[in-house]
Amino acid sequence: MKINSGSQPVEEGKSSEDELAGLYREYYDKIARYACVHIGNRADAEDIAGEVFLKAIESLKSYEKRGIPMQAWLFKIAHNLVVDYLRKMSKRKTVDIDNITIRSDDRPETIAEVNIEIERTKKAMQQLTRDQREVLSLRFFGELTSKETASLMGKSDGSVREMQRAAISRLRSLLIED
Amino acid sequence: MTDDFNKILDGCLDRINGGESIESCLLDYPDLAGQLKPLLQAALQSRKAYAFLPGEEAKTAAERRFRVALEKHRQTNREKQSWLGRIIGKPLTWAALATVAAAIFGIYFGISQTIYPLSPIVPDPDPEGNFVLLISDDVNAISDFESVTVSIAKVGILSNGSGKWIEFEPEIKEVDLTTVQGDESLQIWRGDIPEGEYNKIFIYISDVRGILIETGQLEDIKLPSNRLQISSNFQVAPDEVTSFTYDITVISTGNGQSGTGYILKPQADESGVDTRPGNNQGKGKQD
Repeated sequence: MKINSGSQPVEEGKSSEDELAGLYREYYDKIARYACVHIGNRADAEDIAGEVFLKAIESLKSYEKRGIPMQAWLFKIAHNLVVDYLRKMSKRKTVDIDNITIRSDDRPETIAEVNIEIERTKKAMQQLTRDQREVLSLRFFGELTSKETASLMGKSDGSVREMQRAAISRLRSLLIED
Repeated sequence: MTDDFNKILDGCLDRINGGESIESCLLDYPDLAGQLKPLLQAALQSRKAYAFLPGEEAKTAAERRFRVALEKHRQTNREKQSWLGRIIGKPLTWAALATVAAAIFGIYFGISQTIYPLSPIVPDPDPEGNFVLLISDDVNAISDFESVTVSIAKVGILSNGSGKWIEFEPEIKEVDLTTVQGDESLQIWRGDIPEGEYNKIFIYISDVRGILIETGQLEDIKLPSNRLQISSNFQVAPDEVTSFTYDITVISTGNGQSGTGYILKPQADESGVDTRPGNNQGKGKQD
Protein backbone atom coordinates (compact mmCIF):
# COMPACT_ATOMS: atom_id res chain seq x y z
CA MET A 1 0.00 0.00 0.00
CA LYS A 2 1.49 3.27 -1.09
CA ILE A 3 0.89 6.35 0.98
CA ASN A 4 1.18 9.87 -0.33
CA SER A 5 4.77 10.75 0.39
CA GLY A 6 4.15 14.43 -0.19
CA SER A 7 7.36 14.67 -2.13
CA GLN A 8 7.11 18.20 -3.45
CA PRO A 9 10.26 20.15 -4.22
CA VAL A 10 11.06 22.59 -1.46
CA GLU A 11 14.22 24.12 -2.91
CA GLU A 12 12.55 27.13 -4.56
CA GLY A 13 13.90 30.49 -3.43
CA LYS A 14 16.27 29.02 -0.89
CA SER A 15 19.47 30.99 -0.31
CA SER A 16 22.88 29.37 -0.07
CA GLU A 17 22.90 30.23 3.63
CA ASP A 18 19.59 28.42 4.16
CA GLU A 19 20.85 25.44 2.20
CA LEU A 20 24.05 25.26 4.21
CA ALA A 21 22.20 25.53 7.52
CA GLY A 22 19.86 22.73 6.46
CA LEU A 23 22.74 20.40 5.67
CA TYR A 24 24.53 20.79 8.98
CA ARG A 25 23.01 18.06 11.14
CA GLU A 26 23.10 15.35 8.52
CA TYR A 27 26.44 16.12 6.91
CA TYR A 28 28.47 16.83 10.02
CA ASP A 29 28.41 13.10 10.79
CA LYS A 30 29.19 12.05 7.25
CA ILE A 31 32.08 14.47 6.90
CA ALA A 32 33.50 13.33 10.24
CA ARG A 33 33.47 9.70 9.02
CA TYR A 34 34.96 10.70 5.68
CA ALA A 35 37.77 12.57 7.41
CA CYS A 36 38.33 9.72 9.85
CA VAL A 37 38.91 7.30 6.99
CA HIS A 38 41.74 9.50 5.74
CA ILE A 39 43.32 10.76 8.95
CA GLY A 40 42.50 7.94 11.34
CA ASN A 41 41.84 10.11 14.36
CA ARG A 42 38.23 10.46 15.41
CA ALA A 43 38.55 13.59 17.54
CA ASP A 44 40.51 15.42 14.84
CA ALA A 45 38.01 14.19 12.25
CA GLU A 46 35.18 15.77 14.24
CA ASP A 47 37.16 19.03 14.46
CA ILE A 48 37.59 18.95 10.70
CA ALA A 49 33.84 18.40 10.24
CA GLY A 50 33.11 21.51 12.29
CA GLU A 51 35.82 23.45 10.45
CA VAL A 52 34.30 22.50 7.08
CA PHE A 53 31.10 24.39 7.85
CA LEU A 54 32.94 27.46 9.10
CA LYS A 55 35.05 27.47 5.93
CA ALA A 56 31.89 27.03 3.90
CA ILE A 57 30.39 30.20 5.39
CA GLU A 58 33.54 32.13 4.49
CA SER A 59 33.44 30.77 0.96
CA LEU A 60 29.71 30.99 0.24
CA LYS A 61 30.26 33.75 -2.30
CA SER A 62 32.57 31.56 -4.32
CA TYR A 63 30.14 28.66 -4.24
CA GLU A 64 27.59 30.37 -6.52
CA LYS A 65 26.04 27.15 -7.81
CA ARG A 66 29.11 26.07 -9.73
CA GLY A 67 27.43 22.98 -11.04
CA ILE A 68 27.95 20.69 -8.09
CA PRO A 69 25.51 20.14 -5.24
CA MET A 70 26.36 21.88 -2.00
CA GLN A 71 26.94 18.60 -0.17
CA ALA A 72 29.59 17.66 -2.74
CA TRP A 73 31.17 21.09 -2.33
CA LEU A 74 31.36 20.49 1.43
CA PHE A 75 33.36 17.32 0.78
CA LYS A 76 35.66 19.30 -1.48
CA ILE A 77 36.37 21.61 1.46
CA ALA A 78 36.76 18.54 3.69
CA HIS A 79 39.21 17.04 1.21
CA ASN A 80 41.34 20.21 1.30
CA LEU A 81 41.32 20.28 5.10
CA VAL A 82 42.28 16.60 5.21
CA VAL A 83 45.18 17.26 2.82
CA ASP A 84 46.31 20.18 5.02
CA TYR A 85 46.06 17.99 8.10
CA LEU A 86 48.04 15.16 6.52
CA ARG A 87 50.65 17.63 5.30
CA LYS A 88 51.12 18.84 8.87
CA MET A 89 51.35 15.23 10.01
CA SER A 90 53.60 14.27 7.12
CA LYS A 91 56.37 13.06 9.38
CA ARG A 92 54.14 10.17 10.30
CA LYS A 93 54.41 7.36 7.79
CA THR A 94 51.27 5.56 8.83
CA VAL A 95 47.85 6.62 9.90
CA ASP A 96 46.54 5.35 13.17
CA ILE A 97 42.88 4.39 13.30
CA ASP A 98 43.12 2.27 16.41
CA ASN A 99 41.45 4.87 18.54
CA ILE A 100 38.10 4.57 16.83
CA THR A 101 35.65 3.70 19.57
CA ILE A 102 32.53 1.69 19.14
CA ARG A 103 29.19 2.85 20.46
CA SER A 104 28.74 1.93 24.08
CA ASP A 105 25.40 0.27 23.37
CA ASP A 106 27.05 -2.48 21.33
CA ARG A 107 27.48 -5.89 22.90
CA PRO A 108 31.01 -7.02 23.94
CA GLU A 109 31.19 -9.75 21.31
CA THR A 110 30.09 -7.25 18.66
CA ILE A 111 32.77 -4.81 19.79
CA ALA A 112 35.41 -7.51 19.45
CA GLU A 113 34.20 -8.44 15.97
CA VAL A 114 34.07 -4.86 14.81
CA ASN A 115 37.52 -4.15 16.19
CA ILE A 116 38.88 -7.02 14.15
CA GLU A 117 37.09 -5.68 11.10
CA ILE A 118 38.51 -2.21 11.68
CA GLU A 119 42.03 -3.59 11.87
CA ARG A 120 41.61 -5.64 8.70
CA THR A 121 39.93 -2.78 6.88
CA LYS A 122 42.66 -0.39 7.97
CA LYS A 123 45.31 -2.57 6.41
CA ALA A 124 43.28 -3.09 3.26
CA MET A 125 42.35 0.56 2.80
CA GLN A 126 45.96 1.67 3.18
CA GLN A 127 46.91 -0.53 0.24
CA LEU A 128 44.43 1.07 -2.13
CA THR A 129 45.50 3.94 -4.36
CA ARG A 130 44.71 7.44 -3.19
CA ASP A 131 41.98 7.87 -5.81
CA GLN A 132 40.44 4.50 -4.94
CA ARG A 133 40.36 5.45 -1.28
CA GLU A 134 38.80 8.79 -2.15
CA VAL A 135 36.04 7.17 -4.22
CA LEU A 136 35.20 4.66 -1.49
CA SER A 137 35.22 7.21 1.29
CA LEU A 138 32.99 9.62 -0.63
CA ARG A 139 30.58 6.86 -1.69
CA PHE A 140 30.39 4.83 1.52
CA PHE A 141 31.13 7.28 4.29
CA GLY A 142 30.05 10.54 2.68
CA GLU A 143 27.13 8.73 1.04
CA LEU A 144 27.50 10.82 -2.10
CA THR A 145 26.15 9.40 -5.35
CA SER A 146 28.63 8.31 -8.02
CA LYS A 147 27.58 11.34 -10.06
CA GLU A 148 28.34 13.71 -7.18
CA THR A 149 31.61 11.89 -6.56
CA ALA A 150 32.50 12.24 -10.24
CA SER A 151 31.82 15.97 -10.30
CA LEU A 152 33.84 16.42 -7.15
CA MET A 153 36.82 14.49 -8.47
CA GLY A 154 36.63 16.03 -11.93
CA LYS A 155 36.03 12.67 -13.58
CA SER A 156 33.27 11.14 -15.67
CA ASP A 157 30.50 9.09 -14.05
CA GLY A 158 31.70 6.01 -15.92
CA SER A 159 35.28 6.30 -14.77
CA VAL A 160 34.17 6.71 -11.16
CA ARG A 161 31.99 3.59 -11.41
CA GLU A 162 34.91 1.68 -12.92
CA MET A 163 37.28 2.96 -10.22
CA GLN A 164 34.71 2.00 -7.60
CA ARG A 165 34.40 -1.56 -8.89
CA ALA A 166 38.19 -1.92 -9.10
CA ALA A 167 38.60 -0.51 -5.59
CA ILE A 168 36.03 -2.85 -4.05
CA SER A 169 37.48 -5.85 -5.92
CA ARG A 170 40.92 -4.96 -4.60
CA LEU A 171 39.55 -4.40 -1.12
CA ARG A 172 37.80 -7.76 -1.27
CA SER A 173 41.03 -9.50 -2.34
CA LEU A 174 43.00 -7.82 0.41
CA LEU A 175 40.44 -8.74 3.06
CA ILE A 176 40.49 -12.38 1.92
CA GLU A 177 44.29 -12.50 1.84
CA ASP A 178 44.57 -11.08 5.36
CA MET B 1 28.83 -5.16 -20.54
CA THR B 2 31.40 -4.08 -17.94
CA ASP B 3 29.78 -0.67 -17.72
CA ASP B 4 26.39 -2.34 -17.27
CA PHE B 5 27.76 -4.35 -14.37
CA ASN B 6 29.37 -1.23 -12.92
CA LYS B 7 26.01 0.55 -13.10
CA ILE B 8 24.24 -2.32 -11.38
CA LEU B 9 26.90 -2.44 -8.67
CA ASP B 10 26.61 1.33 -8.28
CA GLY B 11 22.84 1.09 -7.95
CA CYS B 12 23.14 -1.62 -5.32
CA LEU B 13 25.60 0.51 -3.34
CA ASP B 14 23.15 3.42 -3.44
CA ARG B 15 20.44 1.11 -2.12
CA ILE B 16 22.69 -0.15 0.66
CA ASN B 17 23.57 3.45 1.52
CA GLY B 18 19.82 3.99 1.79
CA GLY B 19 19.46 1.17 4.31
CA GLU B 20 18.57 -1.83 2.14
CA SER B 21 20.18 -5.22 2.64
CA ILE B 22 22.53 -6.98 0.24
CA GLU B 23 19.99 -9.76 -0.17
CA SER B 24 17.26 -7.44 -1.35
CA CYS B 25 19.59 -6.12 -4.06
CA LEU B 26 20.63 -9.60 -5.13
CA LEU B 27 17.00 -10.63 -5.51
CA ASP B 28 16.74 -8.16 -8.40
CA TYR B 29 19.83 -9.56 -10.17
CA PRO B 30 19.84 -13.34 -9.65
CA ASP B 31 22.13 -13.93 -12.65
CA LEU B 32 24.77 -11.60 -11.26
CA ALA B 33 24.38 -12.55 -7.61
CA GLY B 34 27.61 -14.59 -7.63
CA GLN B 35 29.64 -11.59 -8.79
CA LEU B 36 27.79 -8.93 -6.85
CA LYS B 37 27.59 -10.57 -3.45
CA PRO B 38 31.32 -10.65 -2.54
CA LEU B 39 31.76 -7.06 -3.70
CA LEU B 40 28.77 -5.80 -1.76
CA GLN B 41 29.90 -7.71 1.32
CA ALA B 42 33.36 -6.12 1.12
CA ALA B 43 31.79 -2.69 0.69
CA LEU B 44 29.47 -3.20 3.64
CA GLN B 45 32.28 -4.51 5.81
CA SER B 46 34.40 -1.44 5.20
CA ARG B 47 31.42 0.81 5.85
CA LYS B 48 30.60 -0.85 9.14
CA ALA B 49 34.19 -0.49 10.31
CA TYR B 50 33.91 3.30 10.23
CA ALA B 51 30.29 3.60 11.33
CA PHE B 52 30.92 5.63 14.46
CA LEU B 53 28.62 8.33 15.74
CA PRO B 54 30.37 11.63 16.44
CA GLY B 55 30.13 12.77 20.05
CA GLU B 56 26.96 14.76 20.67
CA GLU B 57 28.73 17.27 22.92
CA ALA B 58 31.39 18.17 20.34
CA LYS B 59 28.79 18.23 17.61
CA THR B 60 26.51 20.60 19.52
CA ALA B 61 29.40 22.91 20.40
CA ALA B 62 30.50 22.95 16.76
CA GLU B 63 26.94 23.62 15.66
CA ARG B 64 26.69 26.57 18.03
CA ARG B 65 29.87 28.05 16.55
CA PHE B 66 28.49 27.46 13.08
CA ARG B 67 25.14 29.15 13.80
CA VAL B 68 26.86 32.16 15.36
CA ALA B 69 29.20 32.48 12.37
CA LEU B 70 26.25 32.16 10.00
CA GLU B 71 24.36 34.92 11.81
CA LYS B 72 27.42 37.12 11.64
CA HIS B 73 27.74 36.43 7.93
CA ARG B 74 24.11 37.36 7.34
CA GLN B 75 24.49 40.51 9.39
CA THR B 76 27.54 41.57 7.40
CA ASN B 77 25.68 41.00 4.15
CA ARG B 78 22.76 43.06 5.35
CA GLU B 79 25.04 45.88 6.42
CA LYS B 80 26.74 45.89 3.02
CA GLN B 81 23.39 46.00 1.27
CA SER B 82 22.28 48.83 3.50
CA TRP B 83 25.35 50.94 2.63
CA LEU B 84 24.90 50.20 -1.05
CA GLY B 85 21.32 51.34 -0.79
CA ARG B 86 22.44 54.63 0.71
CA ILE B 87 24.92 55.31 -2.07
CA ILE B 88 22.62 54.63 -5.00
CA GLY B 89 19.29 55.03 -3.35
CA LYS B 90 16.97 57.70 -2.07
CA PRO B 91 18.09 60.72 -0.01
CA LEU B 92 17.26 59.34 3.40
CA THR B 93 18.18 61.31 6.49
CA TRP B 94 20.49 59.75 9.06
CA ALA B 95 17.61 59.45 11.48
CA ALA B 96 15.37 57.74 8.96
CA LEU B 97 18.21 55.48 7.91
CA ALA B 98 18.94 54.55 11.51
CA THR B 99 15.25 53.82 12.07
CA VAL B 100 15.06 51.65 8.97
CA ALA B 101 18.29 49.88 9.87
CA ALA B 102 17.05 49.26 13.39
CA ALA B 103 13.80 47.88 12.02
CA ILE B 104 15.64 45.68 9.56
CA PHE B 105 17.97 44.42 12.27
CA GLY B 106 15.08 43.88 14.63
CA ILE B 107 13.09 41.93 12.08
CA TYR B 108 16.18 40.11 10.98
CA PHE B 109 17.15 38.99 14.45
CA GLY B 110 13.56 38.11 15.27
CA ILE B 111 13.24 35.95 12.20
CA SER B 112 16.69 34.44 12.49
CA GLN B 113 16.07 33.41 16.07
CA THR B 114 13.02 31.55 14.82
CA ILE B 115 14.66 30.00 11.80
CA TYR B 116 18.02 29.13 13.27
CA PRO B 117 17.56 28.14 16.88
CA LEU B 118 20.81 27.39 18.67
CA SER B 119 19.32 24.22 20.06
CA PRO B 120 16.69 21.76 18.83
CA ILE B 121 13.03 22.65 19.18
CA VAL B 122 11.62 20.21 21.74
CA PRO B 123 7.81 20.25 21.60
CA ASP B 124 5.67 18.78 24.38
CA PRO B 125 3.05 16.13 23.66
CA ASP B 126 -0.40 17.57 23.05
CA PRO B 127 -3.49 15.45 22.34
CA GLU B 128 -4.79 18.24 20.11
CA GLY B 129 -1.44 18.87 18.39
CA ASN B 130 -0.97 19.38 14.66
CA PHE B 131 1.40 16.47 14.15
CA VAL B 132 0.87 12.78 14.78
CA LEU B 133 3.54 10.11 14.46
CA LEU B 134 2.49 6.51 13.96
CA ILE B 135 4.49 3.31 13.63
CA SER B 136 3.56 0.51 11.27
CA ASP B 137 5.20 -2.63 9.92
CA ASP B 138 5.25 -3.78 6.31
CA VAL B 139 4.73 -7.53 6.06
CA ASN B 140 8.08 -9.13 5.26
CA ALA B 141 9.70 -11.55 7.71
CA ILE B 142 7.55 -10.46 10.64
CA SER B 143 5.50 -13.65 10.35
CA ASP B 144 8.54 -15.58 11.65
CA PHE B 145 8.19 -13.80 14.97
CA GLU B 146 6.01 -14.13 18.01
CA SER B 147 6.97 -10.58 18.97
CA VAL B 148 9.43 -7.91 17.85
CA THR B 149 9.70 -5.18 20.46
CA VAL B 150 11.40 -2.02 19.28
CA SER B 151 12.45 0.57 21.87
CA ILE B 152 12.45 4.12 20.54
CA ALA B 153 14.61 6.59 22.46
CA LYS B 154 13.74 9.72 20.52
CA VAL B 155 12.50 11.07 17.22
CA GLY B 156 14.08 13.83 15.12
CA ILE B 157 12.46 15.77 12.29
CA LEU B 158 14.55 17.92 9.95
CA SER B 159 13.64 20.79 7.67
CA ASN B 160 16.44 21.33 5.17
CA GLY B 161 14.91 24.61 4.02
CA SER B 162 14.69 26.44 7.32
CA GLY B 163 17.26 24.48 9.30
CA LYS B 164 14.64 23.59 11.90
CA TRP B 165 15.43 20.48 13.91
CA ILE B 166 12.58 19.07 15.98
CA GLU B 167 13.37 16.50 18.63
CA PHE B 168 11.06 14.69 21.05
CA GLU B 169 10.72 11.53 23.07
CA PRO B 170 7.73 9.45 22.02
CA GLU B 171 4.87 9.04 24.48
CA ILE B 172 4.93 5.32 23.70
CA LYS B 173 8.53 4.16 23.73
CA GLU B 174 8.07 0.46 22.99
CA VAL B 175 6.24 -0.97 20.00
CA ASP B 176 5.67 -4.64 19.23
CA LEU B 177 5.86 -4.68 15.43
CA THR B 178 3.77 -7.87 15.20
CA THR B 179 0.77 -5.84 16.39
CA VAL B 180 1.06 -3.18 13.70
CA GLN B 181 1.35 -5.24 10.53
CA GLY B 182 -0.07 -4.17 7.18
CA ASP B 183 -2.91 -1.68 7.64
CA GLU B 184 -2.43 -1.51 11.39
CA SER B 185 -0.48 1.29 13.05
CA LEU B 186 0.12 2.70 16.50
CA GLN B 187 0.23 6.37 17.44
CA ILE B 188 3.38 6.98 19.49
CA TRP B 189 3.31 10.77 19.74
CA ARG B 190 1.08 13.74 19.08
CA GLY B 191 1.98 17.36 19.62
CA ASP B 192 2.46 20.74 18.00
CA ILE B 193 5.43 21.32 15.78
CA PRO B 194 6.18 24.56 13.86
CA GLU B 195 4.43 24.91 10.53
CA GLY B 196 6.56 24.45 7.44
CA GLU B 197 8.18 22.00 5.06
CA TYR B 198 10.02 19.02 6.49
CA ASN B 199 12.27 16.56 4.70
CA LYS B 200 13.49 13.77 6.94
CA ILE B 201 12.35 11.84 9.97
CA PHE B 202 14.84 10.01 12.17
CA ILE B 203 13.94 7.36 14.71
CA TYR B 204 16.59 6.55 17.30
CA ILE B 205 16.35 2.90 18.29
CA SER B 206 17.79 1.97 21.66
CA ASP B 207 16.93 -1.75 21.56
CA VAL B 208 15.20 -4.40 19.48
CA ARG B 209 14.15 -7.80 20.79
CA GLY B 210 12.57 -10.47 18.62
CA ILE B 211 11.21 -13.85 19.74
CA LEU B 212 10.93 -16.48 17.02
CA ILE B 213 7.73 -18.53 16.76
CA GLU B 214 9.68 -21.64 15.78
CA THR B 215 12.04 -21.69 18.75
CA GLY B 216 10.39 -19.41 21.28
CA GLN B 217 13.86 -17.95 21.78
CA LEU B 218 15.28 -14.48 21.43
CA GLU B 219 16.63 -13.97 17.91
CA ASP B 220 19.27 -11.41 17.03
CA ILE B 221 17.85 -8.69 14.80
CA LYS B 222 20.57 -6.46 13.43
CA LEU B 223 20.26 -2.71 13.18
CA PRO B 224 22.05 -1.10 10.21
CA SER B 225 22.26 1.98 12.43
CA ASN B 226 20.68 2.97 15.73
CA ARG B 227 19.27 5.92 13.81
CA LEU B 228 16.74 4.91 11.17
CA GLN B 229 16.05 7.59 8.60
CA ILE B 230 13.34 8.18 6.04
CA SER B 231 13.54 11.00 3.50
CA SER B 232 10.07 12.26 2.72
CA ASN B 233 9.07 15.82 2.01
CA PHE B 234 5.90 16.85 3.80
CA GLN B 235 4.23 19.99 5.00
CA VAL B 236 2.76 20.89 8.35
CA ALA B 237 0.16 23.53 7.54
CA PRO B 238 -2.11 25.74 9.67
CA ASP B 239 -5.47 24.25 10.70
CA GLU B 240 -4.47 20.76 9.61
CA VAL B 241 -3.33 17.65 11.38
CA THR B 242 -0.46 15.90 9.65
CA SER B 243 -0.19 12.20 10.47
CA PHE B 244 3.07 10.60 9.49
CA THR B 245 3.15 6.81 9.40
CA TYR B 246 6.69 5.53 9.83
CA ASP B 247 7.02 2.00 8.57
CA ILE B 248 9.68 -0.19 10.13
CA THR B 249 10.06 -3.70 8.81
CA VAL B 250 12.01 -6.85 9.59
CA ILE B 251 13.72 -8.48 6.62
CA SER B 252 15.21 -11.95 6.41
CA THR B 253 18.80 -11.89 5.20
CA GLY B 254 19.53 -15.60 4.92
CA ASN B 255 18.60 -18.46 2.60
CA GLY B 256 17.45 -20.82 5.30
CA GLN B 257 20.39 -23.21 4.79
CA SER B 258 23.41 -21.41 6.12
CA GLY B 259 21.35 -19.78 8.82
CA THR B 260 18.74 -17.08 8.59
CA GLY B 261 19.49 -13.61 9.85
CA TYR B 262 17.20 -10.66 10.34
CA ILE B 263 17.65 -6.96 9.93
CA LEU B 264 15.46 -4.03 10.96
CA LYS B 265 15.09 -1.26 8.42
CA PRO B 266 12.85 1.68 7.58
CA GLN B 267 10.48 1.11 4.68
CA ALA B 268 10.31 4.41 2.79
CA ASP B 269 7.80 3.16 0.20
CA GLU B 270 5.27 2.35 2.89
CA SER B 271 5.80 5.48 4.93
CA GLY B 272 4.28 8.87 4.39
CA VAL B 273 1.78 11.49 5.43
CA ASP B 274 -1.96 11.70 5.70
CA THR B 275 -3.17 15.26 6.11
CA ARG B 276 -6.63 16.04 7.45
CA PRO B 277 -8.33 19.28 8.38
CA GLY B 278 -9.11 20.09 12.01
CA ASN B 279 -8.20 17.96 14.96
CA ASN B 280 -8.53 14.47 13.49
CA GLN B 281 -6.36 11.85 15.05
CA GLY B 282 -4.21 9.61 12.88
CA LYS B 283 -5.98 6.29 12.58
CA GLY B 284 -3.55 4.41 10.42
CA LYS B 285 -2.33 4.08 6.91
CA GLN B 286 -4.39 5.29 4.00
CA ASP B 287 -4.50 3.94 0.46
